[in-house]
Amino acid sequence: MPSLHSMASQPSFDAELLQRYDRPGPRYTSYPTAPQFNADFGEDALRAAAAASNGDPIPRRLSLYVHVPFCMSPCFYCGCNRIITRDLSRGETYLARLYREIALTAPLFDRDREVIQLHFGGGTPNFLSPAQLGEVVDSLRHHFNFSDSAERDISIELDPRFVDPAEVAELGALGFNRASLGVQDFDPAVQEAVNRVQSVEQTLDVLEACRGAGFRSVNVDLIYGLPRQTRDGFARTLETVLQVRPDRLAIYSYAHLPNMFKAQRQINEAELPSAAEKLGLLQLAIEKLTAAGYVYIGMDHFALPDDELARAQERGGLHRNFMGYTTHADTDLVGMGVSAISHIGDSYSQNPRDLPSWQVALDEGRLPVFRGMRLSEDDQLRADLIQRLMCQGEIPVSALERRYLIDFDDYFADALGRMQPLLADDLVRLEDGVIRATSRGRLLLRNIAMCFDAYLTPPAVDAVPRFSRSI
Amino acid sequence: MLAPFPRQDATTLADDGDAFRFCSTCAFSQACLDEGMDKGGLRDLHMLVEHTGPLHAGEHIFREGDAFEAIAAVRAGTVKTYMIDRDGREHVLGFFLPGEVIGLDGIDGDRYPVNAVALDTVMLCRFSFPKISVLATQLPGLQRHLFRLLSRDIGRAALLAGDWTADQRMAAFLIGLSRRLAARGFSPSRFQLTMPRTDIANYLRLAPETVSRVLKRFQRDGLVAVDRRDLELTDRDRLEELAGPVLRS
Repeated sequence: MPSLHSMASQPSFDAELLQRYDRPGPRYTSYPTAPQFNADFGEDALRAAAAASNGDPIPRRLSLYVHVPFCMSPCFYCGCNRIITRDLSRGETYLARLYREIALTAPLFDRDREVIQLHFGGGTPNFLSPAQLGEVVDSLRHHFNFSDSAERDISIELDPRFVDPAEVAELGALGFNRASLGVQDFDPAVQEAVNRVQSVEQTLDVLEACRGAGFRSVNVDLIYGLPRQTRDGFARTLETVLQVRPDRLAIYSYAHLPNMFKAQRQINEAELPSAAEKLGLLQLAIEKLTAAGYVYIGMDHFALPDDELARAQERGGLHRNFMGYTTHADTDLVGMGVSAISHIGDSYSQNPRDLPSWQVALDEGRLPVFRGMRLSEDDQLRADLIQRLMCQGEIPVSALERRYLIDFDDYFADALGRMQPLLADDLVRLEDGVIRATSRGRLLLRNIAMCFDAYLTPPAVDAVPRFSRSI
Repeated sequence: MLAPFPRQDATTLADDGDAFRFCSTCAFSQACLDEGMDKGGLRDLHMLVEHTGPLHAGEHIFREGDAFEAIAAVRAGTVKTYMIDRDGREHVLGFFLPGEVIGLDGIDGDRYPVNAVALDTVMLCRFSFPKISVLATQLPGLQRHLFRLLSRDIGRAALLAGDWTADQRMAAFLIGLSRRLAARGFSPSRFQLTMPRTDIANYLRLAPETVSRVLKRFQRDGLVAVDRRDLELTDRDRLEELAGPVLRS
């Protein structure tokens, strides 16, 4: 009988509840979220933040992120920052600036601060050849101090359509030991509707190659709510994926926002599943993954029980950053490349999101800081709280009181007021001095977090459903 | 529960003095009152006790070679004293916490022999007196008190010049801070290290990496718990044991 006290017990799917609480909100990969960053925060502020972070008695280790913005082919659902091109020489031009950024950035950090994690995201990181990726890794190893520890990760997002098993083997030889494969759906009708035609064979070949190359874990990305998705089609996709038993699965909800994301205008709205159908797809995924033995980590992520994410969560050692869930707690995050976000000391900073601005800054010998912010103590407290909620499904009231020297009920009187309806709907319970998400609440962690978000306006309204919507 | 430094509460930072009365937490009041001298009396002798600041991180209170004008008690924040040698290298001489007095080593001459800089937001209580001779004739007891404070500072710095291991230096530093904070009404077991790693290292004559290595080991062995700048002494007995030889010398 799964214990209510373990986040590893499975989420409970309640369609009516999910429907009522379904509203746009941040994913809280950071708190405060990126829209709070401001352009007043520039190079000087970043240098000051890095210097201050070096001043800790035990300075934090480093996680590195490299953004590769190029994609060979546009997927219509995509809301990411990317540049569609088949011109591989653009990769070389990009790298020339990236090496400059690495050389400018690395000296900000004391040399004894080891790199414990490196992740390539995009776009399509495998737009770059293994040789090119190897050069980037070499440059980073030269300028930074990479840890020799067995727990050091070098990971990459891969598009299986544009990488072959031999190349995956090369990546393994370069030190890559984790990968995430984009799939979304194997149903040919859906693939056509989103312009991502990718065969099962192609995908499984790449996945097997990752395993053959000794990758510690492979993640598969799926999306529900895409045009022409059906229960049967998605069921087949899930079954196909589950047959190869990836270590991790992320099942994202498609957010149709064509006003914000131009590529999505090529999706025929009439072909999108209804809200109820979409929820049905999520329920299907949860049922199948649970039956296959996967553990729900949180925020759309699942893992096998002996995957280190699941084990970390079990012992309370899970963490979450811009790159997703990780076992590497408490590192400073150094983001490089266009649009990359960093988290250094008590600051966040972001690179320009357009390629020309990023290039110009580096050509002029400047750190390409576009915007950022310094976190106040209140920001840090709420960030800590939201982090623990997202990772452990609970808010450790006494631990926070001790760490930040506050009286929780007093300090968070407003937030607790906003949380009342969620208590009434049994999304959360107060037990043993801990605020804990119930199995129903585990799919709505974002709504709980929103109660504690000081930047939501009007805060009283956003977290709570205004009225029931009929399906 | 005692406030962990640098948080202030009524017992550590009172602002209840005025032109005539010392604040209840004043670093100077006892020595003055023992001499039968209140603030009015001091003013008559052209000695002024007044709150100054805030100074921000990096701002100097005085520099080496400046004409001596005043001593000051730290009311809030942390002050670092240092010298620059002939090769341009900085040597950290000490850290001054709330209630502790800076500028004493300028008292006997015309000029401050060291630099004093704020490490964070610092509030001071400045005690200015034009001539040491006034103290000597009018308030000999106060002068003796100030020289006692000075020799204690000198003694503290000399400790760390001995042939001690990195562990002993680090333990002595932490226990020293703990005792000084306790004397000022702060929690002795949990406090922030407001001074950056490089300054601690310089002061203890260790490399910055060594400071971290020692603290990581202390943490692993259960002597301390470190959370960013926050430090908790979790095995005081063991730390006192390590620090003993250094602090007793």
